Amino acid sequence: MSTDTEVQPSNYHHQKPPFYRDATVVKWLFQVGALALVVFALWFLSSQARDNLSARNISTGFDFLSIDPGINLSEGIDTRPATGGRALWVGMVNTIRLATAGIFFATVIGLFIGLARLSNNWVVNKLGSVFVETLRNIPLLVQILLYGAILANLGDLQFDSGWDNWVIWSNKGLSVPRVFIADGFYQWAVFMCIGALAARWMYNQRSGLHDKTGENTHPGLGSFAVLTIFGIVGWFIHPIFGWVGNIFGAISDGISKVPEEVLQLVLSAVAISIAANWIRGFLASRRTPGGSARLTDDDKFRIIFAGVGSVLAILVVFVVWPGLSSWIINSSSDLFEVLENKFGDGRTGGPFGVDRPEVVKPGKFEKYGPSGLTMSLGFAAVFFGIVLYTAAFIAEIVRGGILAVPKGQIEAANSLGMKRSTALRTVILPQALRVIMPPLGNQYLNLTKNTSLAIAVGFSDLVQVGQTVGNQTGKNLSVFAIWMLFYLACSLTISVAVNFFNVRLRIVER
Amino acid sequence: MSTETTNENRSDMIVCENVDKWFGDFQALKGVSATIAEQEVVVVLGPSGSGKSTWIRCINRLEAHQQGTIIVDGVELTNDLRNIEKIRSEVGMVFQQFNLFPHISVLDNVTLAPKWVRKMPKAAAEKKAEELLEMVGIPEQAAKYPGQLSGGQQQRVAIARALAMEPRIMLFDEPTSALDPEMIKEVLDVMKDLAHGGMTMMVVTHEMGFAREVADRIIFMESGEIVESGTPEHFFTNPTEDRTKLFLSQIL
Repeated sequence: MSTDTEVQPSNYHHQKPPFYRDATVVKWLFQVGALALVVFALWFLSSQARDNLSARNISTGFDFLSIDPGINLSEGIDTRPATGGRALWVGMVNTIRLATAGIFFATVIGLFIGLARLSNNWVVNKLGSVFVETLRNIPLLVQILLYGAILANLGDLQFDSGWDNWVIWSNKGLSVPRVFIADGFYQWAVFMCIGALAARWMYNQRSGLHDKTGENTHPGLGSFAVLTIFGIVGWFIHPIFGWVGNIFGAISDGISKVPEEVLQLVLSAVAISIAANWIRGFLASRRTPGGSARLTDDDKFRIIFAGVGSVLAILVVFVVWPGLSSWIINSSSDLFEVLENKFGDGRTGGPFGVDRPEVVKPGKFEKYGPSGLTMSLGFAAVFFGIVLYTAAFIAEIVRGGILAVPKGQIEAANSLGMKRSTALRTVILPQALRVIMPPLGNQYLNLTKNTSLAIAVGFSDLVQVGQTVGNQTGKNLSVFAIWMLFYLACSLTISVAVNFFNVRLRIVER
Repeated sequence: MSTETTNENRSDMIVCENVDKWFGDFQALKGVSATIAEQEVVVVLGPSGSGKSTWIRCINRLEAHQQGTIIVDGVELTNDLRNIEKIRSEVGMVFQQFNLFPHISVLDNVTLAPKWVRKMPKAAAEKKAEELLEMVGIPEQAAKYPGQLSGGQQQRVAIARALAMEPRIMLFDEPTSALDPEMIKEVLDVMKDLAHGGMTMMVVTHEMGFAREVADRIIFMESGEIVESGTPEHFFTNPTEDRTKLFLSQIL
């Protein structure tokens, strides 16, 4: 019976392996299993922790967020916060201020030091090396304490401290004039939006002329000039846009009249259309020139997951969190109402104002008040610490990124007769940035997390405020949770921003 | 040195007199003197390490020579940056490793220098680039990135990029040494067309067939010196110097 035992090629092809050897099934089983294991572990650990905490009378919970903690903060948007939540918010704002200013200045200084270390000029080169080698080899905490000690040795604040009320330095901190948004700003901003459109038109027009004739038509300069003219003219005649507030008011009224059910339906429709769009795109990506490819089990799983996801989103909107849509309606209506109030009669002043620092009485000046921008002693110590320390690392990253561009690229640019500056801008920097961006993002994360060392000099960042609040209320565990969530949110925001640039800089390979 | 074949009617494009070049203690060029006329195709041969590449890299000052004179198209190469940029924009160079710019498309590779150095209008530069890509046989690859092309295609783009500056002289530094054998021909064909079109060319290569067929003159170098210089017939059939005979016996 030899014909029966012969393997038929077509049958052989369709034989399915048993499920425990099927790569797709095994893969999904492992993933679901791993997820279940993690969820179980978290549940187990948290229930153990809860039992132990209650046995020792350590309380958790977030009630303290709405209770007066009875503390004073050294600086921030509110130095006598009414609730624990408000106190932590002040700390977060201080941390974000420190991190944002730190990232900006560390990048600028790091870029220059990095370029200096590549310079052929012996003096510049060695100065850069000394900066890097000194600052990156001293622990950040030591540096912060050192800068704090140096600043504390500046003289006491007197009426004549510093330079004629433009810059004031003393052991209370450093103070410089403050530029602030005045009451005409929003009307002026409408002017500038129109100016931006005009500048864009100017740019396109000038560069089109360049493409046609080859003459240098300075498109960038032309559009800048247009924007400047709009800015200057708008400074004086911006009140003509006072009526724009009525539009925002109308939008605000319109939004507040939207019934909750309508928004719920719209959100559901958005969820379904996102899922449907994704599925359609996914199916299109599986299509080959010869027709639709057969979907694997894996593909089917993904499609089902997309569908289930949209159904879950609809459940959230209607059942789990029915207040979501009214919250969206109310807050967007409020947002436009806030904008409405930024326009109107009486707003005839300039868009910006300047305040010089003012010594109210010796030994004291206003903090973030109406007079001047003041860097307190603590802020200055942490700021100089994280900026100089991180700049040393960024300098090395910039240097490494530029050195990573192959020598042949520079030779090719040179052999085409390009000037050094042209070669740097069009050939070297675009390729160096690709190498620089990922480690640069890491430095931004480090800088943001290092701001927590502010506690060493008593600056009211989130960690310092949180510790005080925790001590006052005894809810240390809850404060820990808020700390972790806050730093996680900061880090994820930075990562998303950096990844956005990474994707744009990627080089196309085959 | 024997039988110079310089055509008296043509002007001198490249004049080198007693050019010396050291890398630290190592002397890479020892008193190199040669004159290359307009529309002449010169192939430089020699064992590796003989200074061939160093010499042609001195001609557009990718390397600076330390003694002697190099005059290219009537302009002497000194430390004057303006002269260097002027000469570089009139001397095209093709590298062994192509050195295309990987972050921009093929079309942008070819139009970059005309736009920034020659200040050519974008539309005109692109039209010119399309003509050049047509000439080197890959008009359909303009929108792709260098990483998506084969080695032979990349080298042809590199030739188009150099030609886009409308150079009066083309330097080739071992243009086929990094290519698979089946791709060498497509690059050599482009170079032959260029030679027949009257371009002044200096080619460092190991392709003896190309040298025999296309060269007006062959210069043989060893240890940083020019050993022998002459027509292909003279060089391949009747070399005078012993070192040339030894080299030919090893490679032929």
